[in-house]
Amino acid sequence: MDKKRVIGNLDNAGLPYEYDKRAYGTVPLDGSRAPFQWVSEVAYKNAHRIVTRGYDTTELMEQGYGVTDVMFVNFQARIPTVAEDQMLNYILILSLEDGLSMPAAMSRMTARSKTFLTQACGASILAFGHAYGAYSAFGNMLLETLEKAESEGKGMEAAATALVARKLGDPALGVSDLMLKDPAAKRIFARAEKLGVAGKYIAFTKEIVKAAQRASSIPIDLDLLGATGAAIMDLGFTPEATWAIIAVTRSFGAGAHYIEEVEREGHTRLGETLTPKELYDGPDDRPVPPLADRDKVAKPAKTHTPDEWKAAFEKRKQLHGSGFAVVEEIHDPSKKTGIKTLGKKI
Amino acid sequence: MSRQPMLSKKTSIAYKTEEKTVLRGYDLSELAEAGYSFCDAMFVLFQGRIPTEAEEKMLAYEMGSFLEHSMSPSAASAIAVTAGRPNLPTAIAAGVMTFGGVHGPGAAHGYMMNKYIERAHREGKTLDEMAKILVDEYMDAGMPVMGMGQPQHRDGDPRAEPIHLKQEELGTNGAYHEFQRAVEKHFHARRKREGKSYVGVNVVGAGNAALSDLGFAPNAAWCIGSVSRAYSCAVHAIFSMKKGRAWAASKSEPMVQMLDLSMIKYVGPEDREVPTQEERQQYAEAQKKSGEYKKWVI
Repeated sequence: MDKKRVIGNLDNAGLPYEYDKRAYGTVPLDGSRAPFQWVSEVAYKNAHRIVTRGYDTTELMEQGYGVTDVMFVNFQARIPTVAEDQMLNYILILSLEDGLSMPAAMSRMTARSKTFLTQACGASILAFGHAYGAYSAFGNMLLETLEKAESEGKGMEAAATALVARKLGDPALGVSDLMLKDPAAKRIFARAEKLGVAGKYIAFTKEIVKAAQRASSIPIDLDLLGATGAAIMDLGFTPEATWAIIAVTRSFGAGAHYIEEVEREGHTRLGETLTPKELYDGPDDRPVPPLADRDKVAKPAKTHTPDEWKAAFEKRKQLHGSGFAVVEEIHDPSKKTGIKTLGKKI
Repeated sequence: MSRQPMLSKKTSIAYKTEEKTVLRGYDLSELAEAGYSFCDAMFVLFQGRIPTEAEEKMLAYEMGSFLEHSMSPSAASAIAVTAGRPNLPTAIAAGVMTFGGVHGPGAAHGYMMNKYIERAHREGKTLDEMAKILVDEYMDAGMPVMGMGQPQHRDGDPRAEPIHLKQEELGTNGAYHEFQRAVEKHFHARRKREGKSYVGVNVVGAGNAALSDLGFAPNAAWCIGSVSRAYSCAVHAIFSMKKGRAWAASKSEPMVQMLDLSMIKYVGPEDREVPTQEERQQYAEAQKKSGEYKKWVI
């Protein structure tokens, strides 16, 4: 390996180090720090026990607790009150099934490829984004708004009015025209109040509903996102936990859709599905230029000035599927995380 | 705004109108208002019926037992996925998708039981006789008997036998329970005769027998087991996202991280020079001819 030879640009003086002198071989084990372990606050197990948050799971079951109780233990490290457990059961029943909505559609499409059921269930969970099932966005919106209102000494009504001024029409607001005829959402709040588990999130969401109804030009009301999201947060679950719990619960329903799809429709082969030309609205059919004519036909993508860049960018936005018309906010949380003390204690 | 489904097709599971969502004929909101539990609703979903109280209790016991299993392939996958900080559902989905032929193979175990019980019916044999046939056929073929053994719980899965006992206590034990018990009896006896170590029943063996006696089909039982685990996969993923270090490779963490470079142990071909394009054809032909590469092909 000591033969000196230049490969491509790898002798360029601008490189951060000399590439022909780079070492081969793996990095030795790091003995200066505690060795890697699966660090968890959530659970551990040994040959004879499975323990979550300090409770042996088999002993939990033998004491008469059920799956919803274990969810409180798992997510919140506590045993719920009877009323809290009843409320969670209520919410999960309403979250179990939603007809042929996107999680079911994704499960069924996955099933058609002849997959395991678990792939279809997993795919259904991926349907939960920041519009459909926007529980993280909704919950964090409540948390941040209430925190800000408290620090500013503002009441819930004023905070809701300000929030609605910014967010009316947002799919994560929890208020929309989706449930004007379906009483299920409002029943959730009524049940939480009857069980004595309604708290500040339900109270605040009610204010949001009132503010949104005042501001909206069309009839709107509490929707299922707002109702289940606020009620489950009043049970102590975080926005992320809420997002996960509802998505996973729907996945049971998606499993039934997988089974029905296989039972009733069978499988689809590669190349079997046609897309009729009537559904196509892209460039007209055109001849493929000979390879020899590539230089005559091809135009480089690069631009040189901001004006050129802007013109090219706007033109590219016209081609659906190119990606230029989409702007996403993708946060880098890497600087905010990390356990700075754990290894030192091991 | 179109409220039409992306897929338009017949379904006997549920429908949704502007007024209500109906599962197998029952309005979901009314089901919840009437005081039924989430586990009751699972029976409605997969079986189209309200269960007995004992059946509901058995399912709650099972799902609670399945929910958390600490470091297993599902939790490890969910944690690993969070290293890149994608949206949370991707980590949960990955956890569910680890359930295949070895980790919680609920459907396969269920199909196996159905196949052999059907054979007992056809051949006029008892469940005990057919269980012995199953054990002998699997072990003669060198195949593992599904529902037996768990690599981390060498003396027997701590959840498994209590599930059997709970089934007996609640009176939900039927043909599947009897058959699974018989499989275990013959499995243990044969291993003892052959001088092999004890291998206990696992949670698939015990749990799936119980789910089958509750009326769940193999795939429905698999769904219940694997998706129940997804709740805890979510907890592990959220813990990792909120309290673990993104990328899982930081040198400034006091503990060596999961993806630290020193975690790599390489056992592949020796380091070698990349051939030039001029050398390529001759090099490639010689490499192909030698066939040495074949031992690395996977």
